[in-house]
Amino acid sequence: MTEYIDKLFDRTVPMLQTDMTLRMKRAEALVSNITNAETPGYRAVDVNFGGELDRALGKNAQSLKVTDGQHMDVLSESGKSFLVADNSGVTRPDGNNVDIDVQMGRLASTSGDFATSASLVRKKLQMLRTAIRFAQR
Amino acid sequence: MGKFSSMEVIASGLSAVRQRMNVIASNVANAETTRTPEGGPYRRRDVVQIANSMPSQFGTALDRMSLYKPAVQAVIADPTEPRQVYQPGHPDANNEGYVAYPNINVVTSMTDMMSTARLYQANITALEQVRKMEQEAARISIRF
Repeated sequence: MTEYIDKLFDRTVPMLQTDMTLRMKRAEALVSNITNAETPGYRAVDVNFGGELDRALGKNAQSLKVTDGQHMDVLSESGKSFLVADNSGVTRPDGNNVDIDVQMGRLASTSGDFATSASLVRKKLQMLRTAIRFAQR
Repeated sequence: MGKFSSMEVIASGLSAVRQRMNVIASNVANAETTRTPEGGPYRRRDVVQIANSMPSQFGTALDRMSLYKPAVQAVIADPTEPRQVYQPGHPDANNEGYVAYPNINVVTSMTDMMSTARLYQANITALEQVRKMEQEAARISIRF
């Protein structure tokens, strides 16, 4: 049964799901940077988007070897280890390196890309619905 | 988890910016106050802002990086000396006729206020963007 379902819902939806999850995480990191734009000593963070997407889609899937039930995969579900230091901004005298314009721009584009992915999921589901309706007639 | 941590970070950001704004407003309003309950002229207040790390699922051992939410830890008084103005008839004048006025530069305070207001706007814009993403995600299930 599962393989038929897998055939019906090909890789598109799970792929877009991963994409949207990562974009949400990236938005979180960017929000953290924006709210801390005036916090002395704060260092900007970002999500290694391309690397994480490749990993999630199975390219270079080699993560840490789990040889014991108590081991945890450092790179996966913890949700926090997605974060990398963002050194694009210039460090100010108070130790903060957030460039708020860059961060706002990134947040806007992340939000737009998220909307694109969401609408692709919607379209895909609409296509399936059309196919189902067609069979009903 | 995505939704709530973003909102939590922005909420504490907005509250920190608002407290900063209150302190600046207090400085501007009291730029000429020469008498306070603790004695002497008003002293310029400043905020100490810190970044609190968000609690993570596995504790800190595995998470070398984490998200931070800003918070105002303390409001401190600026220790610089008040400025002395010669006003012999003033009730707060000292023996030589000088009145101690607060060490506040109104222009500096106003520019601080402008940048703080912009920071508040930036937080609100970030909130709007996150909200838009959530709405977009919620719309996936519409009419299906």
